[in-house]
Parts: sequence; C-alpha cells; structure tokens
Amino acid sequence: MSAALKTNAPPLVKLRDLHVTFKTRDRTVHAVNGVDLDLAAGEVLCILGESGSGKSVTLRALMKLLPKFAQIKGGIEVNGRDVNAMSNSQLADFRGGEVAMIFQEPMTALDPVFTVGRQIAETVQRHEGVSRATADARALELLELVQIPSAKRRLAAYPHELSGGLRQRAMIAVALACRPKLLLADEPTTALDATVQIQVLLLLRELQEKLDMGVIFVTHDLGVAGEIADKVAVMYAGRVVEEGPVSGLMAGPLHPYAQGLLGATVHPGMRGKRLTTIPGAPPMLDVAPTTCAFSPRCEYAEAACTAGVPALVEASPGRFARCVRVPKGV
Amino acid sequence: MMDALDPTPDRGGPAQPLLAVKGLVKHFPLKGGLLGRTQAVVRAVDDVEFDVVKGETLGIVGESGCGKSTTARLLMRLLEPNAGTMIFDGEAVGENVQAGGITLREYRRQVQMVFQDSYASLNPRLPIEETIAFAPRIHGLSADESVTRARELLAAVGLAPESFARRYPHELSGGQRQRINIARALALRPKLVILDEPVSALDKSVEAQVLNLLVDLKAEFGLTYVFISHDLNVVQYISDRVLVMYLGEVAEMGPVGAIYDRPAHPYTRALLDSRPSMDPAKRRTKPPLTGDPPNPVNPPSGCRFRTRCGHAEEVCAARKPLMADLGGGHIVSCHMATPGSGHSQAGSLAA
Repeated sequence: MSAALKTNAPPLVKLRDLHVTFKTRDRTVHAVNGVDLDLAAGEVLCILGESGSGKSVTLRALMKLLPKFAQIKGGIEVNGRDVNAMSNSQLADFRGGEVAMIFQEPMTALDPVFTVGRQIAETVQRHEGVSRATADARALELLELVQIPSAKRRLAAYPHELSGGLRQRAMIAVALACRPKLLLADEPTTALDATVQIQVLLLLRELQEKLDMGVIFVTHDLGVAGEIADKVAVMYAGRVVEEGPVSGLMAGPLHPYAQGLLGATVHPGMRGKRLTTIPGAPPMLDVAPTTCAFSPRCEYAEAACTAGVPALVEASPGRFARCVRVPKGV
Repeated sequence: MMDALDPTPDRGGPAQPLLAVKGLVKHFPLKGGLLGRTQAVVRAVDDVEFDVVKGETLGIVGESGCGKSTTARLLMRLLEPNAGTMIFDGEAVGENVQAGGITLREYRRQVQMVFQDSYASLNPRLPIEETIAFAPRIHGLSADESVTRARELLAAVGLAPESFARRYPHELSGGQRQRINIARALALRPKLVILDEPVSALDKSVEAQVLNLLVDLKAEFGLTYVFISHDLNVVQYISDRVLVMYLGEVAEMGPVGAIYDRPAHPYTRALLDSRPSMDPAKRRTKPPLTGDPPNPVNPPSGCRFRTRCGHAEEVCAARKPLMADLGGGHIVSCHMATPGSGHSQAGSLAA
C-alpha cells in the first residue's frame, strides 16, 4: 500500500485489517475497526488522533499488550513474525528484545523499589544472558546514550529521586537496552513541560537515527508530529482516515477531520480570530461504524457518506484519504 | 430593592485595577523526622506582585513547580498567604469591613474559579442543574430562582437545558463537564474568573470550542479573566497581558504582543523557542534549555533562572535582579535589562 511495499525490503510492521473489540458483561466497544499500516525499517510514523480514536489500542496490539477480554482479528506482523500466533515464552523474548515501548508516565512504568541502573541491567541480562558486571556496564553506557548528566551517580538513583525529564530518559534507556528494531512510544512527552518536551523529542529523533530504529509514535499533538514524524496516520473512530508524509499533511490535509483538527489547533497568529471547531463529539463505538464515522460532524456530508465505509484512496503518490470527496489520483 | 444576586456595580472606575496583588508569599513547610519538625520550605510563591486590570485577560504561564497554580489558589483564597496584600476594586480582601475591606464571603462571590479536572470538581451525586444552582441558593436566592438561573446558564454555555439539566457528571464528556464548571463559576455573577488550566485536559477540537465559549462569555457577562496555562499558544490566543513565572517569582510581564514578539527574559525566550514548530521543514535542532526546572525547595541564590541560563555571570548569583521597566507596561526581572547592574550585557535590553 505505502512506499514500503513497493520496494522489495519487507516492512518492519505490517498491520492488515486489524480489528480490536472489547467485550465486557455490560458493554462492547469496537475500538479498532480495520487498520492497515506499514512501517519500513528506520521510519518514524506518528499516529495522530483524539482520545478514543483507537491509536493507543493499535499500538498495544503490536506488542500483544491488550487484556484477555479483547478480541483481536487481522494480521499483525512485526519483523516478519506473526505476533498473534506467539506463545507466552516467545512473547517474553519478543517484548523488550525486538520491540520496546515507552509510556506517558515514567513513574508508573518504572519499578519504584529498584534503582534505575538495576532495571536497565536486568533487561540486558534477561535478553542477552550476559554477566551482571557486563550488564551494569551496559546500563552506564545507556544512561550516557540518553544524555543523563552524571550518569554514574544516577545509576544508583531510585525513580522517585529523578525529575520528570530524567525519569523519561531513564525509561527510554530501559527500552533501548537491547537495541530494539522497533520502538513504540505512547505519548511519551505529553506529561512533560515545554522546555523538557523539546529536549526529549530531540533526543528520540537523534537516537532513532543513530540506532536506525523504526518508531511508531502515538500523539494527539500536531506540533509533536511535526517535529518527529516521517509520515502520519490520522485515526478517527478506530480507522485511519488519512495517511501520508508529514509535510503534505501539515501543508494541506485532505480529510475533513484532519482539516478540522489542524484548524482547531491554536497556533501563533490566530489572536483575535475565531477558532474553527469541529461540532459535536466522536461516536460511541458500541457498534462498529458502517458508514463514514465522521459524517455526522462533517460540513461536507452527502448521501454517499452514509452508503458505506469509504475506501482508502490514493489521492496522490503516497497520500491516502478515506473520504468520498477525495478523488483518486493518477 | 436590589436583588441579592445581581451583578454588583463597578466601584472604582475603569482606571482602578480589579485586583491588585502585592508581596504575595506562600511557603509550604516540609515536615519530617521523628519529631515532625520543619525540615525544609517549599518557596512556591515568593514575593509576587501584579495587577489585574478591569476587563482584561491576564495569562499566567510557566512550567510545573513555578507556582502558577498556587497563585491561583491564593487569588481565590483557597490557601492563606504567608504575606502580602490583595486589593479587590479598592477594598482589602479579608480585612475589616469598617476599615474599607471586603469579607471573604463577599469576595468569593465576586471571584470564581474553574479547575483543570472537570470531573473531580463536580459533585458526582448531584444533577448538574443542582450543582449550578447550589451557590445562588446558599447566597439567598429562592430554590425556584436558583434553578431558573442554572437553566439560563446551561443555555449560555451551549448545553440545551431540557436535555442536560437532570443529567449527572458521569453521563457527560470532558468538554461538556468543563462547560458545566464554567456555568457554575458564572452562577454568582462574578467579576473575576480564575481559570486554572481549563482546557489542558481536553482534546484539540473540544479545546477550540471551549476557548471560543470563554471569549463569548467574557463579552456577554463583562468578565475579567486570569487564565493559567502551560500552553503558550493558548495563552497567546486568549490573553491581553501575560505574566511569566519561574520558580515562584515573576520573570517577565507585559502586553501579549511585547512578550511574544520581543521577549526580554532569557527564560521567556527559551519557553517560546521550545514550542514545536508545526513545520517539518523548520525542525528544531538544539533544545533551547537543558535540564529540568530546579526544585523550589532550595531555589538558586540571586536570579533563580541562572542555573539554566546561557548568559549567567557572577552578578546573577550574587544579587537578585531588580524589576526593570522596558516601557509600555513591559517589565522584566533580569540583570541584562538593568543598566549598571554589573552584568557585561547590562542595559542591552533597555528600551
């Protein structure tokens, strides 16, 4: 579908028609309703969307981190392996080895009763079977890699002794301990202050280039996507509604939802002007949408929008949108 | 006779600040040890001074731990300041009425607050019209009148009273709950509304709706806002004047144009440069600041920003900078802005 498939190199991540449904006694939620995504090795993809769009669920499905009552359908291939078919012991090797994840809240992702150095070294020992001394040496290297000042002293620090920015760096160090091919990042900079957020973003960009990792970065912040992404997938109600290189999306989004999102983001120079808003609220997803899920909020909605789920069409090379109004390019 | 809950008439005229804050200090003792003695002091707000002009929106920005939320709670008198005076439209807050003061009860009717967490700030067991009607009833309106007012306010914040009035907070979305909080804040017809990160927890499309609503309500009810946020773009959009806080102190304050176009304090410049660029062709290559904000328990001596400042010199550690006036109400606390301060670039910023 995207550029990755046309070249011969197999994609690092291949999602095909992913569906995730959460079924509890009270309620059924169709969180993800058919997502296709490809990521080439060394590429950075941002999944952009608001709460409830299914972006984090998609990310977690890649590591099979969803709860047992989640029903997962569709193809999930990472590095040529079928994630859905993995046994628990295979998953244990896979997580942290080939694929690692960083989270929004480092305080809940790090173990409060072990030092930062121990947590990094533990990952190295578990996956590479090296001695404790070698692992400790690697932990120091990693703390230096993520640019933690006075790294040697910080090895012996507990998570609560570090500031928010340093904790986030320590979590990145744990994730990178075994040089994963794919890094999954779930809003890792959302909880940080502005001056710290930009430091962490620049660090992630630098590390991604240095280690040549594929990165899938989930965010709701267009500015963050602009700083880090090669390509962007905009999600709405569990489907990708627009996908393409970041520059094209920022310059002129194709899908009305992406246009609304860009218009509703406050940026400099909008003072005194009325902000454009998207009226209404996202659908509840108790049933999977059978039409364009955005049509009830869309100012361009027409009869064709409710006739079925619009197909993802290639509007111009590499740019896709799921909207009846976007014509297929040549 | 005037209704007890009509908007109170303006007293001091337009030139008088609605709220004048002077020397505001709030220190939190950190207790510990066997005897529970005070081990250290968090200097959350340290000698903060500013005016809120009638009809304006004053934006307060800063990073976590800079004291902006403590300032909000002090303004609302949810916290008792250790020192400092607050004058509300010419009347000292919490002072003797005979001596020209205003009681806290009356002050809190004139000053209302909206919090960041829209769910935690609503009573989950009250239907929303009763939440909004609660304060007017306490302040002497009859039950019927209170409910009428609540329904009017629901309509004013864009929620149809007939379908929303009897609902409970858990039945609403985050954006709708924040509208309820705003309606409740307006129920006593206040003059000043303190908005503490009111849109930070909302999705972007909802954030824009709430910001538009705040702009409309300000015009409709003749309000004055203190708008606290860490989002520089939102503050630029909504504020007339901006106050930048760092570690409990005012770093810079001025009209929104001056702060965003001609930032004088190195910290303000770094904050503005930290904003993601929105243009993939113009990505940042170097972070404007390194490290996190220091702990407000033991703030650095002299200028509190000097540990992260690229222009720091000896004088910055030795002496606290004076507030320098750059003209047009633009003030900055930096040695580089004060001629003769002893900094090698002293006076380079002076207007």
